[in-house]
Amino acid sequence: MTRWQISHRTTYAYDDEVTDSYGVVYVTPRTLPWQQVHETGLVVDPTPADLAEDLDYYGNTCGFFQVTRPHRELGVHATAVVDVVAPVYDQDALAAPWEQGRPDAAAWRSVDFTMASSMVALTPDATAYAARSLLPGRPIGEAVTDLVHRVHGDFEYRQGATTVTSTVEDVLAERAGVCQDFAHLLIAGLRGHGLAVRYVSGYLATTPAPGQDRVVGADASHAWAAVRLPGAADQWLAVDPTNDQWVADRHVTVAWGRDYADVPPVKGVIFTEAKKSTMTVAVDVVPA
Amino acid sequence: MTVLREYAARVGQPELGAISRFDEMVGPDGALRPAWKGLAEVAIGLTPDDLRRVESEIVRSLADDGVTYNRDGRRAQPWRLDPLPLVIEAAEWERLEVGLAQRAELLNAILVDLYGEQRLLSSGVLPPAAVFGHPGFVRLVARRSAGGTQPLTVAAHDLGRTADGRWTVLGDRAQAPSGIGYAMENRRVISRVLPELYREASLHRMGPFYAALRSALIQAAPVDESQARVVVLSPGSHSETAFDQAFVAAHLGFSLVEGSDLVVRDGCVWLRGVDRPERVHVILRRVDAAFSDPLELRGDSQLGVAGLAEACRRGTVRVVNGLGAGVLENPALLPYQGAMCRLLLDEEPILPTVLTWWGGEAAGLDVLLSHAERLVVRRIDGGRPLNGPVDQVRAQVLAAPHRYVGQERLLLSQAPVAGRAGIRPSPVSVRTFTLHTGGAYRPLLGGLGSVVGEDGLSRSSKDVWVLKRGSADPDQGLREPMPISTLRAVEASVPRVLDDMFWLGRTAERVEAMLRLVIVVHALSENTASDADRFCAQVMHQVVNRLAGTASEELDSDLRSVLLDVRRDGGVAQAVATMRDTAQSVRDQLSPDVWRTFGVHDRAVGLLVESPHPHQVAESAGRMLTAVLALDGVVANMMRDPGWHLIALGRSLERALQLCFLLQGTTIERRGLDVDRRVLDAALAVAESAVTHRRRYRGHVRPRTVLDLLLLDDLNPRSLRFTLRSAADHLAALPRSTGTSRPERRLAGLLEQVEEVDSASLVAIGGASRPNLRRFLEATVVSLQQLADSVVELHATSGPAPRPFTGLLVEP
Repeated sequence: MTRWQISHRTTYAYDDEVTDSYGVVYVTPRTLPWQQVHETGLVVDPTPADLAEDLDYYGNTCGFFQVTRPHRELGVHATAVVDVVAPVYDQDALAAPWEQGRPDAAAWRSVDFTMASSMVALTPDATAYAARSLLPGRPIGEAVTDLVHRVHGDFEYRQGATTVTSTVEDVLAERAGVCQDFAHLLIAGLRGHGLAVRYVSGYLATTPAPGQDRVVGADASHAWAAVRLPGAADQWLAVDPTNDQWVADRHVTVAWGRDYADVPPVKGVIFTEAKKSTMTVAVDVVPA
Repeated sequence: MTVLREYAARVGQPELGAISRFDEMVGPDGALRPAWKGLAEVAIGLTPDDLRRVESEIVRSLADDGVTYNRDGRRAQPWRLDPLPLVIEAAEWERLEVGLAQRAELLNAILVDLYGEQRLLSSGVLPPAAVFGHPGFVRLVARRSAGGTQPLTVAAHDLGRTADGRWTVLGDRAQAPSGIGYAMENRRVISRVLPELYREASLHRMGPFYAALRSALIQAAPVDESQARVVVLSPGSHSETAFDQAFVAAHLGFSLVEGSDLVVRDGCVWLRGVDRPERVHVILRRVDAAFSDPLELRGDSQLGVAGLAEACRRGTVRVVNGLGAGVLENPALLPYQGAMCRLLLDEEPILPTVLTWWGGEAAGLDVLLSHAERLVVRRIDGGRPLNGPVDQVRAQVLAAPHRYVGQERLLLSQAPVAGRAGIRPSPVSVRTFTLHTGGAYRPLLGGLGSVVGEDGLSRSSKDVWVLKRGSADPDQGLREPMPISTLRAVEASVPRVLDDMFWLGRTAERVEAMLRLVIVVHALSENTASDADRFCAQVMHQVVNRLAGTASEELDSDLRSVLLDVRRDGGVAQAVATMRDTAQSVRDQLSPDVWRTFGVHDRAVGLLVESPHPHQVAESAGRMLTAVLALDGVVANMMRDPGWHLIALGRSLERALQLCFLLQGTTIERRGLDVDRRVLDAALAVAESAVTHRRRYRGHVRPRTVLDLLLLDDLNPRSLRFTLRSAADHLAALPRSTGTSRPERRLAGLLEQVEEVDSASLVAIGGASRPNLRRFLEATVVSLQQLADSVVELHATSGPAPRPFTGLLVEP
């Protein structure tokens, strides 16, 4: 078990006053069989006139806030202390042919994660890309791991290669992207074959290079995918294509949905005459 | 031979091989159906001439009421209404009514289930992909915290009648059903143009249903009825059914608002009143759910209210229908009607639904692909049926099968429809409405009939008459009149409405000024006796061109285009189109008589389009002037609220501006005594001060007398000074005016300039012009424009539009 202390600070700066700011945030880690959440905090600056917390359709904690004080800078600071162990999966489920992963009648809720969603179009290209890993009858654990490995090898991690609105097609064409893009690509490929796949938003603790100090704020919010395994147990194999690995005890799960649009860490609406803004994100995941 | 006899004869002897539809008026034996028997005496008397008269009266009535429909985002088209109603007998309606009530109850049960327990999904009655893959399923509403689904309040059901005379449900509308306003308007018009028939038929009047709707909306409020404020949320005057929205708002006595008029604070929805915000408790939503909240739904929407979903969750506001209701419009649900009805209501469905196959299921897809050419194939999220070649349709379906359904092509019943060639049978469908009131669903006894074209689209509408069993039956079967709740009467003025009012005033004044110019120029052009006359006509024509550009060197066609071409900036046609849009978006604030004035204008346009004669330019311009002057009369009878003051202020400021433009084009430059005198006369005529000038100065037109009368006179309502003074009165009456506000300071400064100026110095000559006058007019125009800007800024600005956090992002 590893205990992590998380600090996630998002700051927007505007070139003119913002009179009203409404926000929705997904920054509070989920409580899961392999993840205990001990303390969470959310501070919005300036102090919001309204702040509320709720559980969304998928059981994620989301925050709502409204700042009514005119401001040129908005800060959203989320903190949490969590204990994580690496998830363990039923070996039989991992060894079952991937075709059995398609949700049956009992798994009707998972059908939601088999369909195209606003940022994951099920394009023939993505389906074909995944097909080379999904050989008939191949154990699902192996097939998914192979696909994760290929995405990691075929696509370059490059910040700026894509934007928050990039599509799976863009990523396929660019052969590059960031964690969110690789997650979307993996999701599109597997859903194209009828599997149920979630987009997972969270954090990854990074290890400083040997001999170097931890750089504060060097971490970032992270994203990966989770594939429903065959069987009645409702197990989802969580895999991280950006790092070519299964999700383990360095991954902190915050929220899941059909794609990024369901669970963006921070989204909102502002009323302003400002023309420009900048956003900075500082994430720290340190052992506690 | 009368039209109905001819129709009956035609229908009684169908052409060989013609498809045989159920006829709404004539039975298989060639006799009138029972519903028409009672009306026979009056109806049979209708001659072709009567019918033509009735038809033209309908067109005129609809124009006078400003009834429009904007198809595909094009400019508003006139609403079309066929003179002959669809008449449904009491006994027959009663059977239908039971089916409709059950249908609404079923839809409500589906809604509650899908956003709650989801038994339909867990039991396997409904394939989950049919629901999860439809954009109408709003996951926000399916949260536990959504606090249970509110019942479906209003629903619409499209019905068609098949060859065996059975009514079949073609589809349902629950997202934001439209048509109740059109149905009511149709009834108003038909009762006016066919009074004998209307009196003869003992039919259910629609009034009580409206009262019930009003009452249901007020009761939906999470607060005491006497405190409840209800608004109608419209996407704006360009929306397809803008008329319907405005009509319903005006008729129910609720404010017609747009998203920018509302704001969420402290988890409640408020109307952004200029003097104070007002709580809103119920929103009759005519904006699709996806566009209703840019925070939690589509972030690019400018039509919604940021935070609305949160306010709904907190129960401080009730949105009707709820944000999740669009899920019911999904045609992929239709194949499962029977099973859903049995599971949720433990009943068999009474009304059949049109046979539908969903591509998301293997068997359905099979039928869809193998019978694509015989089916109507459409996307489940709306839009027109696919109409490409069959192979293309199949390919589209195969790419995403769960997004498509195929539906049988129904042989809809036919009814007599008036057209160029007289009365002919044409397929019809009927939109019916159900309302949740008093714990049950009650159908409107009536509806909105549609004349369906070859392409399946509606070509025209029909009134729908449901007859009473006995003449003593209460209208709508509502024996108890609905209690009329008195709502707080004072409506806050919202900045958007005030902005519209201000522009309405300004545009009306522009139209008036341009029309007067056109009339004078046209008259001058007919008098070409001397060089001076011709020169003068040219000078005045140039004034037109300065304001509205030049479309043609040839005077007659140039003036025509000023009157007719909507694309011509500064022209009358464009300004009137703008006025119409503006009036549409504040329809609930205006007297219906406003639309009459547009009707007068439209007829003048029609006459001009038809007649190539130059004389018609003056004739039509004259009628258009009558229309815009009549608008003044309508406005004069409005409540003296801030909206009225802004119309008046807009008119005053624009009048002052137009006067300056006129004087700039006529009085600065010197063109020789002969020409100048004529030009001054013309300018006086345009400024509608010729008669006054003649009386006061005994016919001696000199620059100084003209400027005295038009700039400085105390009593001439057309003078700059007078106009500015009345502007000051209106400005002072606005809620945000303090006596020292910016617009007030600007106006005071401007008035001071005018008071100080002396006409002797203005007319001073420098070379070929009058430099002092030029400077004065230029400065005045600039001041007036700044003043108008500051009025909008202080009194009529809604503030910036919502933008997503990411909307302004640049790389750090």
